[in-house]
Amino acid sequence: MIRSVIVAGAGQTAAVAARTLRRRGFEGDVLLIGEEHVAPYQRPPLSKEYLAGEQSGGELCLLSEEWCGDNDVELRLGTRVAAVRGAERAVELADGAVLRADALLVATGGRPRRLPGVEGERVRYLRTVADADRLRADIRPGAHVIVVGAGFIGSEVASTALAGGARVTVVERADHPLAHVLGARMGAACAALQRASGVDLRTGETVREYAESGGHAAVLTGSGRVIEGDVVVVGVGMIPNVEPLAGSGIELDDGVVVDEYCRTSAPGVYAAGDVARHYHPLFDQRIRVEHFDHASGHGMAAAKNILGQRVPYTSPHWFWSDQFGRNLQYAGHAREWDEIVVRGRVEEFDFVAFYLDKGVLRAAFGMDRGGEVAVARSLVAARAVPDPAVLRDEDTDLTELL
Amino acid sequence: MTAREWVEVAALRDLARRGRTLVTVGDERIGLFMIDGTVYALRDVCVHKQRSLTKGTILRGRVICPGHQWAFDPATGRADGQDRCQPTYEVRVEDGAVFVDPRPRTLAAEENR
Ligand SMILES: Cc1cc2nc3c(=O)[nH]c(=O)nc-3n(C[C@H](O)[C@H](O)[C@H](O)COP(=O)(O)OP(=O)(O)OC[C@H]3O[C@@H](n4cnc5c(N)ncnc54)[C@H](O)[C@@H]3O)c2cc1C
Ligand code: FES
Repeated sequence: MIRSVIVAGAGQTAAVAARTLRRRGFEGDVLLIGEEHVAPYQRPPLSKEYLAGEQSGGELCLLSEEWCGDNDVELRLGTRVAAVRGAERAVELADGAVLRADALLVATGGRPRRLPGVEGERVRYLRTVADADRLRADIRPGAHVIVVGAGFIGSEVASTALAGGARVTVVERADHPLAHVLGARMGAACAALQRASGVDLRTGETVREYAESGGHAAVLTGSGRVIEGDVVVVGVGMIPNVEPLAGSGIELDDGVVVDEYCRTSAPGVYAAGDVARHYHPLFDQRIRVEHFDHASGHGMAAAKNILGQRVPYTSPHWFWSDQFGRNLQYAGHAREWDEIVVRGRVEEFDFVAFYLDKGVLRAAFGMDRGGEVAVARSLVAARAVPDPAVLRDEDTDLTELL
Repeated sequence: MTAREWVEVAALRDLARRGRTLVTVGDERIGLFMIDGTVYALRDVCVHKQRSLTKGTILRGRVICPGHQWAFDPATGRADGQDRCQPTYEVRVEDGAVFVDPRPRTLAAEENR
């Protein structure tokens, strides 16, 4: 029987796991150890409402100290787990203390990937509320914000900066933003959205050199152009925080490898959220996903499996991004496909695109089409082979395909 | 208990055909949903970030917000796994017409935690 659970990391995955443990009636010890000094909070607003100053820090909170008190969950903040000892089911803290439990959950998330050579007073990364507080001061009318990387976070920062009155230049290495997830055609739609909104988007462009002088930041691009600005925000991806597991013998592969039950290669040690590369039965692959809904669903699944319920994590991934006044959503997983079927009008940023592989619906991406993306998610889960003519036809109700 | 104020807002036949519709009574934007033969009324403007619920979808008996996919129980306004609760309205169906009481009700979301 499991009598104690220790969670390494106190972010969203950890918070949902703790709530699930208590909601399912677990009465043993629950300890969350987090490096940040703040109780678990949501990150999505950090590039959106919170960065824009429309939301306060308190509204981000996911697990208040009060809830932890009422539910007897111990939060140890400002504390780093230095090592996870798989065989002993123990964690070692920075001060050398060793804590044992019947089950360990690794939920250490990730940190921004650094761009070599881009260092200085005017360089910003965005992962934590402290990062957002710092960046918030840089976004003001008349400022010139340079964003390196047109991924989801870079694009959202560009959108928020623009709305805050700043001028924005985005430098993206690929030919289209988000192309590695969405493909060239939908990546081009995102580029069009950025440009139509007023972003100076430079694709196929790299950062060759970076310098600061006289209160300015200067980026020398691969094509030899110099872009001067007030601040440079780097959003070039995330690196999973696996360092505490180095030498533990637990299998790692750009993340902590887990099966569909959130189990690592060490018995009693689980991992979930941004840090976990999980086997997903629906796509028959190991995938690492860095999104909110996955962090919640995976944290919940980990808690249930820790309690011995043996529930596989099988639902298709889903995420959203709010940018340039549009709500983008994606459901499923597709890195290759043989057909994209579009419903709606791409040029008006009002559509949903369906990614089909040998007729099977694998993923959907939409702008301002959350209702249809929700249905698509169910169709992906069912491995549906929908008729492209029905997908395309705006007069049909997609729920009829279910 | 105060008396109900019933306002006729839609024809049942139209609602049945489309499954959902947006009506306005005074300042209240009300989303009507027909799910498994029952009519429900929820505030159209989502408690999360103000998207329109009638632009969402109905899946497995839940009203799914198009903004960030919160799944609302149409009877109570509770969203699965969320603390906040969507206001609902009392509904009455009579002689093929749908009536609502435009005074919103909000459940305490306590047990939802
Ligand atoms: C700016 C931003 C915007 C986003 N927007 C969206 C969005 O619009 N939609 C979407 O779907 N997703 C979005 N995401 C992604 C989403 O926030 C993440 O997927 C989610 O936070 C992952 O949760 P997690 O608990 O796995 O990791 P994290 O939230 O990173 O939490 C991990 C925690 O563990 C701590 N930790 C790490 N190592 C240790 C250690 N050794 N010891 C102790 N503690 C440790 C970290 O300090 C951190 O607090 C966004 C992320 C960011 C940064
Ligand atoms: S606006 Fe409804 S879920 Fe976000």
